[in-house]
Amino acid sequence: MTFSTVVIRGLLRRPLRTGFTLAGISIGIAAVVALVGMARGFQQSWEVGLKARGTDLVVSNRSGSLTPKPFDASVSDQIKSLPHVAATCDILVEITSIEDSDLMILSAREWGGFSWDNLKLISGRMPNSATEPAVVLGQTAAEVLKKKVGDPIQIETKELKVVGIVKGGAVVEDGSVILSLPLLQGILGSPHQINAIDVRVTPSTSEQQLQALTHQIEQRIPQVRAVTVNEHLSHNEGFRLVEAMSWGTSLLALLVGVLGVMNTMLMTVFERTHEICVLLAVGWTRQRVMRMILYESAVLGLTGGIVGVALGVIGVRLLDKTPAIRGLLQPDLGLPLLGLSVVIAVAVGVLSGLYPAWRSSRLTPSLALQAG
Amino acid sequence: MSSSTASAAPLLEARGLTREFDDGQVKALRGVDFSIDAGEFIAITGPSGCGKSTLLQLLGALDRPTSGDLLYRGESVPNLSDLAAYRASEIGFIFQAFHLLPTFTALENVQIPMFEGYRSRSERREHAVELLRLVGLEDRLDHFPSKLSGGERQRVAVARSLANEPSLLLADEPTGNLDSENAHSVLDLIIRLQQEQGRTLVLVTHDPTIAERAGRILHMTDGRIVSDQAPAPHNAATRP
Repeated sequence: MTFSTVVIRGLLRRPLRTGFTLAGISIGIAAVVALVGMARGFQQSWEVGLKARGTDLVVSNRSGSLTPKPFDASVSDQIKSLPHVAATCDILVEITSIEDSDLMILSAREWGGFSWDNLKLISGRMPNSATEPAVVLGQTAAEVLKKKVGDPIQIETKELKVVGIVKGGAVVEDGSVILSLPLLQGILGSPHQINAIDVRVTPSTSEQQLQALTHQIEQRIPQVRAVTVNEHLSHNEGFRLVEAMSWGTSLLALLVGVLGVMNTMLMTVFERTHEICVLLAVGWTRQRVMRMILYESAVLGLTGGIVGVALGVIGVRLLDKTPAIRGLLQPDLGLPLLGLSVVIAVAVGVLSGLYPAWRSSRLTPSLALQAG
Repeated sequence: MSSSTASAAPLLEARGLTREFDDGQVKALRGVDFSIDAGEFIAITGPSGCGKSTLLQLLGALDRPTSGDLLYRGESVPNLSDLAAYRASEIGFIFQAFHLLPTFTALENVQIPMFEGYRSRSERREHAVELLRLVGLEDRLDHFPSKLSGGERQRVAVARSLANEPSLLLADEPTGNLDSENAHSVLDLIIRLQQEQGRTLVLVTHDPTIAERAGRILHMTDGRIVSDQAPAPHNAATRP
């Protein structure tokens, strides 16, 4: 028998209560995994999408929403003349409800711009001109919207035709409804408005030159911000807000878990007062008794963490299959997040066990002789 | 402290021990003086509420006296910095209600005090098996307390009290919860082990027939020792 046998035996004493406590902490951790994984996945999916389009820099208006504020398309002419700029592509992107689907990415691109280049046709064709009332659908978007080549599609008040299904090389691209910029500007009634410019630099551009270019763009056009693809997402207040809200919600769920573990451990100490006194009477130190309670609560945390991570991963996989989420993001369920979740769970366990452990160490061993 | 240290000084010496509760309203011990030599078997008797159990708690460092001193091999027990170490290495407790831990087998219960000792995992197990064999329970190693009879439970408790090879065994009415047949055999076991292993035994009882088997009987009344004498010669177990 080892000390860990004593710890495990303590937890198995009340299997039902231990089970409920585990469920509480697992749900908290599952919330962390699911919500934060989705938030981060959303951000990363955009990053991969931008990279798939061959974009090095994104110029957009400072904004607190998920899609940036619109600005005048003439800005791109000023950027084209700057050194190291190989090409630009005006973009107008909206996240909106299309027909029966909840949220879809509507991605309008400058006709002939490089952002069209990475799209690989699976079926049908590309639009013939900037003004043809036609869209191509990313393959996931086509599945979610249940559309095939030749079907009509309602964008705002206008009916367009699906002329092709494409593969975009990234979840965001595959989940998008893609059309020409003038067409969407016409539908929205804002002819010169765009909300992002994808910038591709010359191949020989160094990282320092890229940084210098971003400063130059921001100096010349104060209303926009130019950032590299990686920075674009980490600086986007909308993404940060989503991640913060995910953590906030998760922490609330975790707080419930903390209270659950603390309640269980306190009950344990009260119920096992006599047993703890016997342990002290037969020579256990107060530190060992405290350690026993703390280990029990840490094991609760660890087990709850592992179960919670599993629940979270399963939950996210199920959510990812729903039409509302599908195509919008690829959840981030990387080891760092899963590892962090388990660490949080153990910390929750230890933290919740501190007060009960302290209570247990205050007991007087003489109770062992009186009780029973 | 080491149980192997031999000296002419008494093993335990109580000097004016008092213990009060509720801000002095309850005086459980009113100045107790006595000494115990190593290897003695002493019975403490007296009516309920006379302070027997309180005295036993002080001897076992489960509690501290209100005033007075208790010397163990010349060192003041209340002033020890680590009372747990004293309890773990020098004291073996046997309780009236056994106080085995219900979620542990007999073998595991005996190992519980050994966590404070020096033994490795396998040594702890080996020693516990040996102790259970000593109390006649070698065929009950993996039984939980709920599957043992009262007499068997107390035998496990006796084995547990010997886990860290203490020099002083403190038994609080060890046969109080047993039928007369089991009471006899458990008492015989405790006395046999005390004599064979040369340990000191302090046994609290209100049963005069049990007390008469001791080498000395301290009789308490109202928080004081009113007599300290040997039993009638033909009954004393430790007398020649």
